Amino acid sequence: MPEWPRRIGEEMRQHLDDEYDALRAAGRSHEDAMAALEDDVASATPPAPRPVEEIRADLRYAIRSLRKHPAFTAVVLLTLGLGIGANAAIFSVVNAVLLRPLPYHDADRLVLIWGDLHRPGVNEIPTSAGEFADYRDRSHAFEHIAAYDTLGFNLTGSGDPERLEGAIVSASLFPLLGASAQIGRTFVNAEEQPGREQVVVLSHALWSRRFNADPAIVGQIVALDGRPVQVVGVMPASFHYPDAGVEIWKPMLLDADALSDDNRGSHGYTALARLKPGVTLAQAQADLASVTATFKAEHPGNYRSGFSARLRPLQEEIVGETARPLLILLGAVAVVLLIACANVSNLLLARAASRRREIALRTALGAGRGRLVRQLLTESVLVAIVGGAIGLVLASWGVDLLIAAAPDTIPRLGEVGVDRRVILFTAVVSLGTGLLFGIVPALRASATPPGDTLKDGGRSGATHGRAGRLLVIAEVALSLVLLVGAGLLVHSFARVQRVEPGFDATDLLTLRLSLPESRYTTFQKGEAFFDGLFTALRARPDVRAVAAANALPFSGVGGSRTFHIEGREPKRPEDQAEEQIRIVTGGYFETMRTPVAEGREFTDRDNSSAPRVAVVNEALARKHWPNESPIGKRVAFTRDEPQWYEIVGIVRNIKHAGLDGADRPELYVPYKQPLFASWTVRPMYIVVRAAADPLATAATVRHELARLDRDQPISDLRTMDARIGRSLAGRRFNMVLLAVFASLALTLAGIGIYGIAAYSVTERTHEIGVRLALGAQRRDVMVMIVRQGMTMTVIGAAIGIASALLLTRVMSSLLFGVSAADPVTFAAIPALLGAVAFVACYVPARRATRVDPLVALRTE
Amino acid sequence: MQYVKSRMLDRELKKGSAELLILSLVEDQPRHGYDLSKLIETRSDGVLKFRVASLYPLLYRLEKRGWIHGRWIEKAGQRRRRYYRLTPAGARVLASQRSTWKEFAAAINRIAGVEHA
Repeated sequence: MPEWPRRIGEEMRQHLDDEYDALRAAGRSHEDAMAALEDDVASATPPAPRPVEEIRADLRYAIRSLRKHPAFTAVVLLTLGLGIGANAAIFSVVNAVLLRPLPYHDADRLVLIWGDLHRPGVNEIPTSAGEFADYRDRSHAFEHIAAYDTLGFNLTGSGDPERLEGAIVSASLFPLLGASAQIGRTFVNAEEQPGREQVVVLSHALWSRRFNADPAIVGQIVALDGRPVQVVGVMPASFHYPDAGVEIWKPMLLDADALSDDNRGSHGYTALARLKPGVTLAQAQADLASVTATFKAEHPGNYRSGFSARLRPLQEEIVGETARPLLILLGAVAVVLLIACANVSNLLLARAASRRREIALRTALGAGRGRLVRQLLTESVLVAIVGGAIGLVLASWGVDLLIAAAPDTIPRLGEVGVDRRVILFTAVVSLGTGLLFGIVPALRASATPPGDTLKDGGRSGATHGRAGRLLVIAEVALSLVLLVGAGLLVHSFARVQRVEPGFDATDLLTLRLSLPESRYTTFQKGEAFFDGLFTALRARPDVRAVAAANALPFSGVGGSRTFHIEGREPKRPEDQAEEQIRIVTGGYFETMRTPVAEGREFTDRDNSSAPRVAVVNEALARKHWPNESPIGKRVAFTRDEPQWYEIVGIVRNIKHAGLDGADRPELYVPYKQPLFASWTVRPMYIVVRAAADPLATAATVRHELARLDRDQPISDLRTMDARIGRSLAGRRFNMVLLAVFASLALTLAGIGIYGIAAYSVTERTHEIGVRLALGAQRRDVMVMIVRQGMTMTVIGAAIGIASALLLTRVMSSLLFGVSAADPVTFAAIPALLGAVAFVACYVPARRATRVDPLVALRTE
Repeated sequence: MQYVKSRMLDRELKKGSAELLILSLVEDQPRHGYDLSKLIETRSDGVLKFRVASLYPLLYRLEKRGWIHGRWIEKAGQRRRRYYRLTPAGARVLASQRSTWKEFAAAINRIAGVEHA
């Protein structure tokens, strides 16, 4: 037993004995005296108020005290609303993109099956129809396996021709995803067979837009790529697969030809599978290994250089590359909120100083320290929760802005919104924020012994000063880290924008044309169409030049092919040359204004009756002919009976996938000299060099097209500038957001520095008065105040620079042409911060110089 | 609703006033608990009375805060008793509580118009 209960017990016993003696001495009977004592002991201390009552009282008190200081309350609520709102907004994106399960039944069991040829660049290749059939029929780890490929379709009849994004899919895809049609049905297995495959399922959006949500759509015939197909079903509005752009599904053809040995190497399908319940990824991987071992043995010719299948969770596949930038942004907003907390904390500290008398009075009236801390924390948590509610409102607007500004490379943006999880997150963040910024001021305020305060009239800001300065140093350090991060992104962006794409993007109009094979049955029919179109367009005054390519820069389209170089026989099959192949019409480089470094470019005379020619870019020339000119060398695309293409020109490198990408070797072949005799028409991009506004020229192109083929839709119509802008959208999005957060951080830090300097001037008015009275120069006073603020800034900046050097490494994958320790950024940002800090100190310092010594001294 | 608030203030007031009373009573000389309880009762003409179960814990708390200091003293033929005296810290608190009370009472007076006794 500790000492004190024994001691109190002894004192109480004595007290009762004394009282008994006194009562007896006063003539009371033994029973009477005992009853009086019982009474005294029984009615002990009054019961403490229940916690609920206490909290209610605290809340009411807090509301009253906040309403008494509307300016203070408004500043705090706004700061917190912005900080918490930014967090809620970014979190709602993270929630939708990364955290929420994909919108399919038991989505965590969905995996993609990729082929791996164990060579760089071919570690994740799609599946061929034959491989898909083997996976489906021989594996045991999966409930369902499906295959699909995205494809464009021309929808004609009933209104303007339209180019649709669609997919050809195995019948198993819909049951695999747990999806059924809203009207009609999805596909049956028999519809993977020839003659049965002329059926389609429509997306809800297409059905509403194109067919006015006609309830009798099922059974109707529509024209797809010039052929009649029957609509069998419409999917619900919530169904999207493989992505939100796909509007029509058609069965894939799994006939003998597709499954033949010849087509085993044509890896065109993505394979999606659903793991059986309880089967792990590793078990499924092992199961697939035995399936691939079997089919490799059966088809040795197709898998000479090794092959295996690898599994990847669908969720990871969809959100994989988006995760890092999003998490960096979430980290950045968290830092902004921390800075906001530091500012609010500082405000509360300053207010606690002016509330010291109120607190002293409450202490004198018997409120214990725990009680006071509870009271003060109730107030800050209340403020934080109201701030959180404001933040949630701001976030719901912010989310709309974010979605509008976000690049379409971020998946699942349509699912972003404020849901239960976002609200819960905001509530937890608000509560944590309230405790975080409230605890230090509450402990400080309640720690002051009441006697001291009441005596010195409520001055003594020393304790607040120290805590406040530490908070400001922390703010400066945090905002410097954010500013450096934003600075690095801005610097990278400027670098990327200065990259020469290898062509002149201004005044270029681009669009995609997919001539249907049903109508353009031979290569010559397609050739005639393009000749007619180009002749008509070249005659128009608003068209300077026109050409076409199968894959334009920044179109997202492209592809590689193996080829043979005359006189070089690769020793191993994997040593065979394989590069990006582009099929372009005559005058393509002139239209693009890509400089020809050597030789010549293609003309319309490079046709099927002329000798076959090719053009290479400098990267390809350097790679395959490092010590000689490739002009005059010959390449072919078939090994047996090779058709040789003589290299007649070298062009400058063109950035194809993005300005920040490496220069890839490219081999160009004339459109009119097709690689294979079996080729008919191919989807092509038309590129028009306009005389003026390229978008205005679009009308000319549509007009000429309609004159040639009324049913021919165009798609993907954009200016080249817009394409390049689009390729930079993700980078711009990250940069702008981080820059916004960093500016917010800088503003808050500036306010923090200003606050502490202004507070210090108020606190030291008396001291300043004395100094001035003793003959100090006003300049000295100013230097004193500015030096105090700048010392904090320098310390904070030093900590910030050290932290930034460590932290910016996580974003090195987002940088371009700039190191994570970029000296320019690391010099410019502290200078910017220093300038802001100086202004923040200078304003209060000016006020300090205007202190009238007489007035200052009289206030004592 | 108002009930809770006024009860709380009341309780704090009582607790605060108890501290003030004890500090004042040990200001001039050390006293033991029973002595203190009798003095409060008689000097207030019976209006204020301490329960035994609240007085001693309060003394313990005040001592723990360093405002009073207790010592066991044995006198011939009596049981030992614990005598409390005011510490310098207690003296400061007493001074401030006195001024607070004065302010408080004056404020109440200004509002309620109660005359000084």
